[in-house]
Amino acid sequence: MGYPDAPVPIRADIPAAHARAWAWIAAPGNWLTGAERVAIAAETRHALDCRLCAARKKALSPEAVTGEHDGLGVLEPPMVEIVHRIVTDPARLTRRWFEARLAEGVEVTRYVETVGVTAVTVSLDTFARSMGLPLRRLPEPKPGEPSGYLPASARMEEAWVPLILHGEETGAEADIYSGVPRAYILMALTLVPEAKRAFFDLVETQYLPSRWMRAFDVEHRAISHAQIEFLAARISALNQCVY
Amino acid sequence: MSGGGGGVAAGEELAVFAEAVAGEGDMAAAISALRRTVGDAGWVDAAGVAATFNAIDRVADATGIPLEPKKAAVSADFRGALAIDAWADARG
Repeated sequence: MGYPDAPVPIRADIPAAHARAWAWIAAPGNWLTGAERVAIAAETRHALDCRLCAARKKALSPEAVTGEHDGLGVLEPPMVEIVHRIVTDPARLTRRWFEARLAEGVEVTRYVETVGVTAVTVSLDTFARSMGLPLRRLPEPKPGEPSGYLPASARMEEAWVPLILHGEETGAEADIYSGVPRAYILMALTLVPEAKRAFFDLVETQYLPSRWMRAFDVEHRAISHAQIEFLAARISALNQCVY
Repeated sequence: MSGGGGGVAAGEELAVFAEAVAGEGDMAAAISALRRTVGDAGWVDAAGVAATFNAIDRVADATGIPLEPKKAAVSADFRGALAIDAWADARG
């Protein structure tokens, strides 16, 4: 896939990480098939042209506008609602909205995996747009069934979804935090461990490895720590993210 | 409309770039200005940061994770001044 059309050199670890991310999307996951995951990636892109999402975004409350999403017709309506809302109006997601999706029959495991696939796709597409490049072609889904793997140490705490809490990682997830400081964002996707690993593989490549985040005496990127954190904070503010 | 440069080198260009990433500005113009100030490698790294945080915000919002107690404590004063807690509470 790569970026042979990029107007400037892109450091090699980025296209390598992106290739791993696209391969992760295309493969069967813990709870979704490869075809479902590629359909989620396609719906992530399609959400930006959804008329219902556009009308909701303008409304005082997204719940005030009813109708059907302009979906691609592959995913079930509750899954389309999940993907479209995460893409177009994430700041106004609520626990009540989340619970309504579960009531519609979406298992929490499939929900968390959907969040992971959607977020990875948003990240890959944001990079392309930020480089002034067309979006990359979606991968062909790989055959096979989801593993159905559920980490034994995941449990409910304060988030909407079960997590593997820092300090409780065991078994196949014993290395999932690799000694990094406790932060809920690192735990958010751990109900589907491979989603956590895939997303943070991208984070560490595109942003900073955790060991560099507070290493202020050395600059590892072509922009400084201050510039990186300023840009990150500005984007989070524009997204109205209060985490 | 940018939010200013925050006292950071190339801050104005980074702010305009962030707005373009969020769909609130002209990406080509933002890239051109950013490239002039931080160079090609800086642009690539900025694109990586943008790609990360445009997605990580969605993971946080979609999973309902709370703010860590330590971060809540150190940010209590400005969260109060900005009434951010009331905003978050209203989200349920």
